Amino acid sequence: MALSPAVEVVGLTKVFEKGRRTIWQRLRREPDKREKFVAVDGIDLRVERGEIFGVLGPNGAGKTTTLRMLATLLEPTSGEVRVLGVDVKANPREVRANLGAMLSGERSLYWKLTARENLEYFAALYHVPPKGQKARIDAALAAVKLGDRADDYVERYSTGMRQRLALARALLPDPPLVILDEPTVGLDPQAARDLRDRVRELKRQGRTVLLTTHYMEEADQLCDRIAIIDHGQIVALDTPAALKRRIRAEEVVTLEIGMPSGADSAILARLANTAVIARSERHNGTLAVTAHCASARDFVPAAFDAARSEGATIQHVEVVPVSLEDVFISLTGRALRE
Amino acid sequence: MNPAIAAADLRALGAAGRMSFRTLRRYPANFIGQIFWPVLLPAVWVLMGRAYSGGGDPQALDAFASRAGTSGVTVFVFVGYAMYMWLSTLLWGPGTALRQEQMRGSLEAVFLTPVSRLVPLFGPTLTNIVWVLFQLVVMGLAVWLLFGVVLPVQGILLTLLVTFAGLPAMYAMGSLFGAAVLRFGEVGPAVQFVRGALSLLCGITFPIVMLPAWAQATSNAMPPTWIVAAIRDVLLRGATPLDLLPTAGVLVALSVVFGGFAIVLFRILEASARRSGMLGRY
Repeated sequence: MALSPAVEVVGLTKVFEKGRRTIWQRLRREPDKREKFVAVDGIDLRVERGEIFGVLGPNGAGKTTTLRMLATLLEPTSGEVRVLGVDVKANPREVRANLGAMLSGERSLYWKLTARENLEYFAALYHVPPKGQKARIDAALAAVKLGDRADDYVERYSTGMRQRLALARALLPDPPLVILDEPTVGLDPQAARDLRDRVRELKRQGRTVLLTTHYMEEADQLCDRIAIIDHGQIVALDTPAALKRRIRAEEVVTLEIGMPSGADSAILARLANTAVIARSERHNGTLAVTAHCASARDFVPAAFDAARSEGATIQHVEVVPVSLEDVFISLTGRALRE
Repeated sequence: MNPAIAAADLRALGAAGRMSFRTLRRYPANFIGQIFWPVLLPAVWVLMGRAYSGGGDPQALDAFASRAGTSGVTVFVFVGYAMYMWLSTLLWGPGTALRQEQMRGSLEAVFLTPVSRLVPLFGPTLTNIVWVLFQLVVMGLAVWLLFGVVLPVQGILLTLLVTFAGLPAMYAMGSLFGAAVLRFGEVGPAVQFVRGALSLLCGITFPIVMLPAWAQATSNAMPPTWIVAAIRDVLLRGATPLDLLPTAGVLVALSVVFGGFAIVLFRILEASARRSGMLGRY
């Protein structure tokens, strides 16, 4: 029999009410007039076993809310969620027993305890049998390269070490599925790289990893497939390479054109003859243009010609390969960090 | 329930107690506070009682005995205060345990595990039993060294027995606040109010016959009233284990009522917290 997917989500929706209903309103059974906020809006998702699946989106897009519903911490307003073939609403305890999750990072640890003491406590909470507990803890510490600092108080750790310890804790139940919410946020580049290596190692061990991030490079480097989420909806879902192919360009050229306002549409129309204009913004006397093109070698000289003929000056040119950020901009019309 | 899961939950309960005690040990100054308050608070009341009775006037003591059933004012007050401190500790206990997890940011991590919700609610509060025992010892020493009252050994042992027998009922009351923490976050003012009301209703520093009849009926529905009365019976009137059987029956019944109510309330409020996303907020 074929194994069920690691995660299967159909029509997942989460609606929050803003503000509180007073006890008086409840007692009088007054209609709930609070404003509704749709955090997750009918998501369909299928994560296969053994893949690293990324959910990419700006802050407030609904990534964390989605993960918290998968992890049984938050009850969906509607929709179905099955984790490793188990319905999260009907059997939340069974889901938690097979799930390693790192949702709130370093704050979720006991800083006055050592790393080993933290893991001893959580091993008991994860029902790890006492006989195999020590070996499991040692293995988890070794997996995140904290074996030599296991008996230090967590309060003496760096942020990166605490994040790694939180990951070690997620590995205690030896879970087939690990979910990570913004695992590298707040880390320095070296610590972030180190944590990404640990995530790749999880895949090599045959585990499924579902992670959220708003770092497109991270999603690009790590993930087998990515769902781009915005305003609670999935706007695209594919491999990083396929997502980048969607914008039918090889390079992204950013131009800063010095010119008075009023002639924007004319120069943009000329540039659009040789590239796709993804974005244009005016800052004081400068027009910033992001263009997707097949070859910057062809586009940039054409852009200089266009600027000259309109009496404008190109002040800055930057050429980079297509990234997921560009995919996001082309899909939503805004940048990831806006 | 699956016995293997029940056994694993029980081990987790022990681990939660160990975790809490390890954390406590890293703040040794807390122990100093636990020495002063159990002595100072009741001593003030004992000295005031002595002043009102003219320094032990037999007529005044007889008047007290006719209402309290004993003329041993010192032990009467100390037992009441032991109950008060125990009440404070256990009423705060489960709620404080969850609140601390919530404020630290570890509550979600604990709720991500498959362990029973009773473990984070009660496990960390096992340390409270250490506090309660420590306070009882300090109070016993104070009664002896400051007021020259020697407590009977059998009475001390029976007091410990009553203390432990009362734990389920007291924890059940405390877990009501624990449940409220999940949904509402800060419940300190509610605990303060209930603690004040109980100190009035349960005869901490005076016999409950001094209360109006309607208030006495409420007092009798509160587990602390029965526990404090049983301890006074043991230490002041030489009650035997057989004499305590009716009290034990009442305590079991109240434990079931409060415990059942706490479990239902906890489930309702946890579900509400999961709907509103309150678990991750503070």
